[in-house]
Amino acid sequence: MGTVPSRGRRLQSGPRVGNCLARCPAVALGVPGSRAISLSPCLPPASDDQKLVFVQQGPLVLVSVSRTLQSEQQLRQELLYVYYQILSMLTQVSITRIFERKKNYDLRRLLAGSEKILDRLLNLVESDPGFLLGAVRCLPLPASLRDALGTLLQKAITPNLVFSILVARSQLVTAVQERAVIEECRLEPTDLHLLLNLIGASSAFQAGEIWTPICLPRFNPDGYFYAYISYLDAECTVCLVLLSTDKESFYAVSDCKRRVEEAMRTQGSLQVLSGGLQSPSYGVGQVGVPDLRHFLYKPLDIPENYRQLPQFTSPELEGPYCSEEEQHRLFDLYHHLHSRIHSTSRPLRLIYHVAEKETLLAWVTSKFELYTCFSPMVTKAGAINVLTKLLRWIKKEEDRLFIRYPPKYSTTPNPGKGTKGGRPDGAENGFFAGL
Amino acid sequence: MNSNRNVDLKIIIIGALGVGKTSLLHQFVHKTFHEDYRTTLGASILSKRIMVDNTPLKLQIWDTGGQERFRSMVSTFYKGSDGCMLAFDVTDLESFESLDDWREDFLEKIIPAEQGFPMVVLGNKIDLNERQVSKETASFWCKEKDIPYFEVSAKNDINVVQAFETLARQALLRYQEMLENYLTDSIKLTPDDQPKKKCC
Repeated sequence: MGTVPSRGRRLQSGPRVGNCLARCPAVALGVPGSRAISLSPCLPPASDDQKLVFVQQGPLVLVSVSRTLQSEQQLRQELLYVYYQILSMLTQVSITRIFERKKNYDLRRLLAGSEKILDRLLNLVESDPGFLLGAVRCLPLPASLRDALGTLLQKAITPNLVFSILVARSQLVTAVQERAVIEECRLEPTDLHLLLNLIGASSAFQAGEIWTPICLPRFNPDGYFYAYISYLDAECTVCLVLLSTDKESFYAVSDCKRRVEEAMRTQGSLQVLSGGLQSPSYGVGQVGVPDLRHFLYKPLDIPENYRQLPQFTSPELEGPYCSEEEQHRLFDLYHHLHSRIHSTSRPLRLIYHVAEKETLLAWVTSKFELYTCFSPMVTKAGAINVLTKLLRWIKKEEDRLFIRYPPKYSTTPNPGKGTKGGRPDGAENGFFAGL
Repeated sequence: MNSNRNVDLKIIIIGALGVGKTSLLHQFVHKTFHEDYRTTLGASILSKRIMVDNTPLKLQIWDTGGQERFRSMVSTFYKGSDGCMLAFDVTDLESFESLDDWREDFLEKIIPAEQGFPMVVLGNKIDLNERQVSKETASFWCKEKDIPYFEVSAKNDINVVQAFETLARQALLRYQEMLENYLTDSIKLTPDDQPKKKCC
């Protein structure tokens, strides 16, 4: 795979991933439990512009060597995502038990075949604003259609079904959750990103049905759900994900999908979600302000009782950002602004960054977090004018751009947080007897 | 025997990581082949309707991920299977050597235990030159266990259909036998009664 030496892959796939992930006695850390250790300039790196970041999670040590503009904080976050993705496949309790039994176990055995998953994750972390913002992008839809789809999912349930998620063209259409379960614990964007990455990297874009154990590490790192995954359209752009706590429920859950499919055909909503528009998102031109090239907007003032997934909205990348290189460059800039805004030592509320190819403005208030990209010719006054219009446009389009009131259903009288238990048995957690 | 209604059969494909289970299934169902490797998550289920001995069958085929992390969970996939396809890669000796484990593991989990459960073995990737497992070795192993052996190539579509159809036929026979047994049992009134001859 290519290239782009300046970006340099952080965690190489294959044997070096193993080296990073096998228990590392040489790094003599000795203290179990999670600790983020940054060993940047002090360690003699190969070159000055290299950052070396270590993260320890349980018996695992993850290492990142990087030459990009990302801050230590961001690199650490990246390593955590890798760790969470590993958990999504193995669960935390399994890993702990494996290393308890065999201190020098080579985790590559269990991760064999997962290189693409981790590779794809690292690509996404760099290029998908959802990871940076800790939010999910929704497919812009008329609220009435989204509500109708939510209602549809609310009806297609079976005992032990906990989440029903509909995704179209990699963006969230709606997510319906079991009422009692989300009282205890909410679905987080990280879990959704990891889930979608697993799907995208594995048997993706294939007709048929998938039935697989999956862990949602932020929701419950020690238990498995059973995920039913299926594409509803022939082009495989609309994906239905149903999560159950019952591993024997394949046929019941498959029947839920059949009901969803039938109802959507009756409604005619499948065409809207799949074929209709060519581009997944909307063009920045819809905002109707010149000089604005791109933006990331994440609302923050969501009342707690709405129990929404944190979301963001962003237009298609066009104009000068069509090539991969330019897109990387823009995201590097967003990353840079983000790290300065969220700096632990000296956080900022507003940054106005003038550069050769573009001008960027980052702004955080109690109501939103916003990153905007303008043409370099814009003046400060002009930028403020654009911002005002943008915020007004977003307000006007709110109901279309975001999921405002996520629907819920009730399927079980006493649901738990996934198939966990005080002492999860081996088979439930996929603990391997052959060790 | 009424042949107008579809018989639903569940077929499961098992074997080591990367031997080509998914490719075999896709060649059989879609007549397609993709060179790039994607690991199967859990189980991937496809259906195909075929005709075997004038009986329309609907095969529900469970293609299972060969990753070790799924081994302990596959019992939920095995449940209710009517036939099992064991696959290995002729260029990967380890994948052949692990067949014993896969087969025993499967037979252990089939309830109730059965002799002669419908099974076939596929040696895949015969289109490649670097063979590590000879046809003789594989055939011998299969003959010992009384399992039909097929040398196949998912890439070039060699023997794929034959392998699936053979397994389907075996599974259908067993299904029909079981059906007859149930019918026969239900007619018996006392142990002394002769079982009524089944009618077609």
